[in-house]
Amino acid sequence: MIKIDTKAFIQAKFSEYYEKNSLNIHPPSSMEKREFGFLLLKERIMLRHKAFKTAQEFRDSFKTLIPSHVYFSSAYYERPEEEMEEKGWLGADLVFDIDADHISAPCSKTHDTWSCPHCKTTGRGTPPKKCPKCNKQKFEEKTWPCEICLESAKEETIKLIDILTNDLGFSTNEMSLSFSGHRGYHLHVESKDILTLNSTSRKEIVDYIVGIGLDPQLHGLSKIGGPNLDDFGWRGRIARGTYEYLLSATPEQLEKIGLPRGVIQSLGKHKERILESWKYKGPWTMIKGVSFESWSKIAEQALKNQAAKIDTVVTTDVHRLIRLADTLHGKTGLKKTETSIATIEEFDPLKSAVAFPHGTASVDVSEAPKFRVGSEFHGPYRNEKVELPMAAALFLLCKGSARITEVGSSVR
Amino acid sequence: MEIPSFPIAIMMVVATADSRIKRTYALAEAKRASTLLKGERKETIMKIANNFKWKLEPAQPRPNLLNYDFALDFKDYIRNAAIIQHKKWKLVNRMLSKGEVFLTKVEVCRLLEEEVRRYIEQKLQVKVKSLSPDIMNRINRLKQLFYEKRGKTSWEEIPSEVIIIAYPPCIKRLHETISSGHHLSHIGRFTLTTFLVNIGMTTENVVDLFRSLADFKERMTRYQVEHIAGLKGSRTKYIPPQCDTLRTHGVCPGMDDICRRIRHPLAYYRRKLRIIKTEAPLAPGA
Ligand code: SF4
Ligand SMILES: [Zn+2]
Ligand SMILES: [Zn+2]
Repeated sequence: MIKIDTKAFIQAKFSEYYEKNSLNIHPPSSMEKREFGFLLLKERIMLRHKAFKTAQEFRDSFKTLIPSHVYFSSAYYERPEEEMEEKGWLGADLVFDIDADHISAPCSKTHDTWSCPHCKTTGRGTPPKKCPKCNKQKFEEKTWPCEICLESAKEETIKLIDILTNDLGFSTNEMSLSFSGHRGYHLHVESKDILTLNSTSRKEIVDYIVGIGLDPQLHGLSKIGGPNLDDFGWRGRIARGTYEYLLSATPEQLEKIGLPRGVIQSLGKHKERILESWKYKGPWTMIKGVSFESWSKIAEQALKNQAAKIDTVVTTDVHRLIRLADTLHGKTGLKKTETSIATIEEFDPLKSAVAFPHGTASVDVSEAPKFRVGSEFHGPYRNEKVELPMAAALFLLCKGSARITEVGSSVR
Repeated sequence: MEIPSFPIAIMMVVATADSRIKRTYALAEAKRASTLLKGERKETIMKIANNFKWKLEPAQPRPNLLNYDFALDFKDYIRNAAIIQHKKWKLVNRMLSKGEVFLTKVEVCRLLEEEVRRYIEQKLQVKVKSLSPDIMNRINRLKQLFYEKRGKTSWEEIPSEVIIIAYPPCIKRLHETISSGHHLSHIGRFTLTTFLVNIGMTTENVVDLFRSLADFKERMTRYQVEHIAGLKGSRTKYIPPQCDTLRTHGVCPGMDDICRRIRHPLAYYRRKLRIIKTEAPLAPGA
């Protein structure tokens, strides 16, 4: 048995990965016009404004720098290696980030933790606005990629793809989709038509996808009718959203959105008729006692579930740095993994992103919820020593939830 | 458009070297063009739109898409519609299918107006070297006329408009940066907000200025502006930092003649206002 330092171990594994796999890491299109950024594992500093002329130079960089995170710019520049003001912006791809952080699935209470660095108070779920003990507003958060979170991120991604293709007319050939290596998905659109869109225009795209500023009345909802299930764009989405919402909403939920008692009763009484009505023109005018104002409230609520919850800042930022595919995520030791859009339903991120399929390691775990890396579940653990497959062990080490104690024999 | 007079008018406007006159002129030309267009046939409108490289096609009538004349590529749409304020122009409130926005003829003309306005503004960006003193005299006379007419009427009604020409260079630049949706540093934001609040711009108008920012949060911005205006919190009204400080933080873009005689952006503003008031009615060339 050899005594090993956790940080040195992570670094050795990352180095090993880049030695073995650098040929599988592909430079992005128009590499020489992009800016690259590296967070260095050892020095913990960010190297920005890097640029590469050849694929060789690009691949060698991983081996020599051993980064914990690798990024490239969605933007193209005349001089990518200069400071921002001097770069000469030429345009940028359209990028989307869907992260479980923005979805806040109910399971986050069971696996995410926060701690106040000031007074060491800790808690579960998303951190409060202020520390309950010392009122400070900064927290250290630890979030976990879990099945449920990743599944909801996937659902949002599917909604996004639907809007991008059916409404905005992008072809799936122009898109690349990846699991980020942590808690979400990245969708990258490369199309020469969108390159020079400024941030204001991109904001319009974001608002479209998130449904910000949407007015159902401008989509046909009026006192004499409303949208149909098979309408285009948001019109159809409002109708389909309303259909789904009325099927699933409980009287309590309906009360919460401000519907009067009488309206809720009417909706309940006429459930069958409402369902039937979608075959014709929808229920908009035909349910007695449900006013136009009530329908507006229902539609308002219904469209929320039709929007895709993207990170609005990422898409409007025309200088954004994006994680590079097939590089390691320093918080998990998983790799950012591309997947085809056609097969996204079957895609298993936690299996596909495994970067270290061989060997085992023994680790001393302080605390970890039940988690999966590869196809096996592990944990929950609390102050215990366990032997794990290499990818799972590295995952806990990168998360800062464990220390390395021993390396299995199959590792050279 | 009256083509022969167009280049001469452009040249004269360029010679005023006044961004407000340029903007006013571009807007007026654009409005005129769009009014004329509304009376044109669809084919003519298509031709003009295609000249600006728009992907515009006649709308194919479909069962649930009646009443539309045109289908426009959504990228061309947002490039022009994003700055029109009314909610009906937001992309999210539009009928979209496969990348095309469905529009009426009148709507297409309104969008073309934006395109024309930008086109003319861009043409006005050039510098003319020197014109004969005779022409320069005429231009100066026109310029005075403009100030007299515009300056006076808007003086009482929309003070924020006329005051723009008295902004010091630093504020001008911050104002332009934010209007084009770009980010300001913290100190840039603070300087701009304190300046505007102190020259009497309403909270409402200041908040609106930040609206084009990607991460705009209405409540947050309003709170900050009201705080700076002394309406909230500590109840002290803040003033902008001194020129000195602004230079240190790279907010000062370089001094002009008036800058050299003052030490504070608000002092610049007061001084410049006085100059404008006394100069405006003077005879051309004075
Ligand atoms: S010197 Fe002062 S007033 Fe003049 S531009 Fe600089 S900061 Fe503004
Ligand atoms: Zn605390
Ligand atoms: Zn979860």
